[in-house]
Formats: sequence, C-alpha cells, structure tokens
Amino acid sequence: MTRASTAWAIFQGLLIEALPFLLLGVAIAGIARWLVPQSAWARRLPRNAVLAPIVGALLGFALPACECGNVPVARRLLASGAPLGTGFGFLFAAPVLNPIVLASTWAAFPDKTWLLWARPLGAFLIALALSMLLGLLAESRLLAPALLEERRLTQPLSRVGLLERGSGLVGGSAPVPERPTSVERLRPGELLGHSTREFLNLLTLLVLGSALAAVVQTWLPRSWLLALGSAPTLSVIALMLLALVLSVCSSVDAFLALGFAAQVTPGALLAFLLLGPVVDLKLAGLFTVLLTPRAIGITAVAASLLVLLIGQWVNFLQL
Amino acid sequence: MSLLQRLRRSPWLTPLALGLWGWLLLWSRLSGRLDLLLNAAFHAVVTVAGAVLMLLALIQLRGARRRRGGPVPLGVLLSLGVALLMLAFPPAPSFSDLAANRQDSLPEAPQLSFFLPPEQRTLTEWVRLLRSQPDPDLHAGDPLQISGFVLARPGEPAQLARLTVRCCLADATPAGLPVDWPEGSDPVPDQWLEIKGTMTVQDRNGVPTNVVKPASIKVIPRPERPLEP
Repeated sequence: MTRASTAWAIFQGLLIEALPFLLLGVAIAGIARWLVPQSAWARRLPRNAVLAPIVGALLGFALPACECGNVPVARRLLASGAPLGTGFGFLFAAPVLNPIVLASTWAAFPDKTWLLWARPLGAFLIALALSMLLGLLAESRLLAPALLEERRLTQPLSRVGLLERGSGLVGGSAPVPERPTSVERLRPGELLGHSTREFLNLLTLLVLGSALAAVVQTWLPRSWLLALGSAPTLSVIALMLLALVLSVCSSVDAFLALGFAAQVTPGALLAFLLLGPVVDLKLAGLFTVLLTPRAIGITAVAASLLVLLIGQWVNFLQL
Repeated sequence: MSLLQRLRRSPWLTPLALGLWGWLLLWSRLSGRLDLLLNAAFHAVVTVAGAVLMLLALIQLRGARRRRGGPVPLGVLLSLGVALLMLAFPPAPSFSDLAANRQDSLPEAPQLSFFLPPEQRTLTEWVRLLRSQPDPDLHAGDPLQISGFVLARPGEPAQLARLTVRCCLADATPAGLPVDWPEGSDPVPDQWLEIKGTMTVQDRNGVPTNVVKPASIKVIPRPERPLEP
C-alpha cells in the first residue's frame, strides 16, 4: 500500500512539473499559428533532406521548450505544411539545442568541457539521422491520421497521392499545383478554442505517460540499473534505461545526472543526457499525436542504437 | 442519448476541465503540496500556469452557452477525473520507499554553506561536508542538531536521512547519516526525528566512520518543506 501511495506522489510530481511546460508549448504553437498564417512557414523553409532538419534543429534556439512543450510546436510545424525534416529536426533536437538546456548543462558540469560540446553535437546528429530515416517512410505510414489530414489541407494537390486525394480524373493530367495564396488569419476566439482543445488532448496523453513512468519507477529498483555502472557497454545501456524510466524534463536532467556522474562511464553519462530528451515513457503518449505506432517504434529503436553507438565511441576515446 | 454522450456534448465540460486543472495547480501552491513534490525553483512556474488555466476557463465559460460542436474527446473526461482524484487524495509518499530505490549519489550543493557552525548545519549540509572532507577525525566531537526521517535499509542499521530534489520526486536522492541508536530504541521507518548530539568516529565494517551520537531524540511532525535542493 505504501508503494502505491509513493507511486501516486511520483505521478503527481511528474505531472505537475511537466504541465506548465506543456502549456507553454501549446502557447508557442498557438502564437506561431496566429502570427504566421497557415502554410506561410512552408514556403520559406528549405526542403532539402539535409538542410530541412538542420533548420528544424536550429529553431530550438528561437522557440525554447523542453520535450513536453515541443511536441505541440512540432505538430503545428508539420500541420502547417513544413517539410518533414524540419518538423522532426525540431522535435528531436530542440529539447537539447535551446539556451535553457545548454545553460543548465554548463551549470551542472562546468568542469566537463567535453560534455558542453558533445551533448549539443550528439543531439544534433541524432536529430539529423532520425529525420532522414523517418523521411524514408511514406507520410501515410509515418504521421498520425489526424495530423496527416490537417497537413494535406496545406499541401499542393500534386504532393498528395492520387488515391489519397478523394477526387480527380484517372488518366487525366495532374492539376497544376496551386499554392495557397492569402490565408485568413484565425480570429483570436477560434485560435483560443483550438489551442484549448489541443492542450486538453495532450494533457490526457501526458497523464497516461506520467502514470506509466511513476509505476515503473516505483516497482523497478533503480539500483539494478546503476549496479551495472562501471562496465563500458552495460553502463551505457543501464543509463539509457534510466533515462527512459525517469522521464525527467531536459531542462533539469543535467543536475540529476550530476548525482551519479562520478559512478558511471563518460559514455553512459552522455547517453543519459542524449536519450531522455528524445525517448522516454512520459513522451510515449504525447508522440501519438504526431506519429503512427510503427514510426514511434522505429524512432525509439533507432534513437537507442544511435545513442548506444555514441556512448560506446565516447568510452572508446576516454573523453 | 446516454448520460456519457450527453456529458461529452455539454458546453461546460471544457471550461470545467481547464478550471479544475488551474485550481489544482493553484491549490497545490497554496496548500504547500508543491513543497512535497517539486524543487522550489518550479513553484512560480506552476503558479503562473494555474492562473493562466483559470483565466482560460473563465474566457471559455463566457462563450459556453453559444458554443456548438461535436462531443469532447473521452480523454478530456479521463483527465477531469484524474484532476478530481488529485484534489481528493493528496500525495503521501513513503520517504523510505522513495530512498530505497535510489543511489546515495547526492548532487552538489547549489551554494557553499558548510562553513556554518556545526550546530547550525542541516543534515544534508553535514553529508556534503563529510563527502568533501572525508577525514572523519576532523569532525569528531562537533555538536549537531539535525532533523530527518528514519531510513531503514535491509541488512544495514537505520540512518537519519533527508531527500534532495532537483526537479520533482522522480529524482529524489537520499542523504543519510549513520546514527548510534541508544540501547533499546527501535527507530520506526519514515518517522521524523530531531536529534541533538555530537559527531563521533566509530569503526564500521573496519572503516573509521562519522556516526551521530544522540544526546536527545525527539519525534517531530513532517516539516512543511521536507525536500532539500
């Protein structure tokens, strides 16, 4: 019974801490939608497979949000017709490549200068690789159905498959793509209503993710994970699992890592700081508003393999 | 139309959900619940978020009568239920359970404070000091007055401990001091105690270790701010 009440308290702590950041993310997404009318983003962003994720990753400096807050912002980017690479580059890199997280990493590890460049560089490379990997999938297999539908409204007809258009003549020439011209700006009331619905939908998923993280944390002894700390490969895997389970916000995870930095290998430390902002139990629900279950699975596996490789490489170089 | 369907079509549901979550955040601040859940650095952010949600609820309430639309997603009802449960059942964690799953890897202090006189140091400051100056004889005989909860771990004597938190309870890390419990005393896990006494050096498993020798032990209620940064 005491375990259940402890899990209940951890759940409340995780949820109440994350909720303001989710609200901030929805607010940023709402303001962006109001200031820049639908699809005006898309016309200005590069569509190149490499440039698009780079631009997305760098957007983190302009729209600082942790991993909970950046889900609604990434969704807004994709729904507005931004290139997939830009949306995913932002989704995966912005939780690290933003001034708040970089400052907290520096504050926690002022003596580990290698970490101050390795963390942002690692996050950037992971975002680039994941964006390019997910870009290989067809949009219909990649994006959540509701997002896909919203995104198609802002896409020129030529970019939408014949069977997906719902209209058109078979055998006829493809219609000349018409770029959306002037799109009316949403009225403040409509915008508020939309943002409110988005917030409540994401909140439900955050509730489920926090519950999962609290249950796993309470019943899975953390000592099992940290006991593996000194072996090069096992330590990286152990800290990756810890990041997955803890689901702590990226703006404070460096301070948490400080607590066990002396007991684990440098590669494991970096792995903890890289994987948590991309994949954790709390995010499991939130990602369903962006990606199909299959794409979430691919993201989780690919991100884990990349982080494991980076961690191993850092241990090999003995930074 | 079933009750659930009618409920989901109610124009009052969205403002109610927003208002309830806003009130939960504000109430958590007012009632001191946040002190039990989060590092103080996040309290202001939570309060602002609560106020914003209340404001949004009021705005949505104004237009609720005229609003027409489809049913609210089932998840909104779920989150509303969770908010009600959170208001009805405040957190009551077992500090020993929280500590049992954690390493004793205490984060560095946010500021240097161990130059305080020994009797003014908190338990966490003592632990930090002992880790930074590991020669036990340096502190032998120092007077101390500390408070914390009884942390019992299997196969080890009970310690007096505090939890430090950087973010929220999810990253709580214990900081404990060994205590030379008086003969016949049986410290109850999770009980909060205030100990006045001296720091001594004793042999524990063949290693000279700083151990608290109590002169008096008083049972105290859980402090309003039980977590330390």
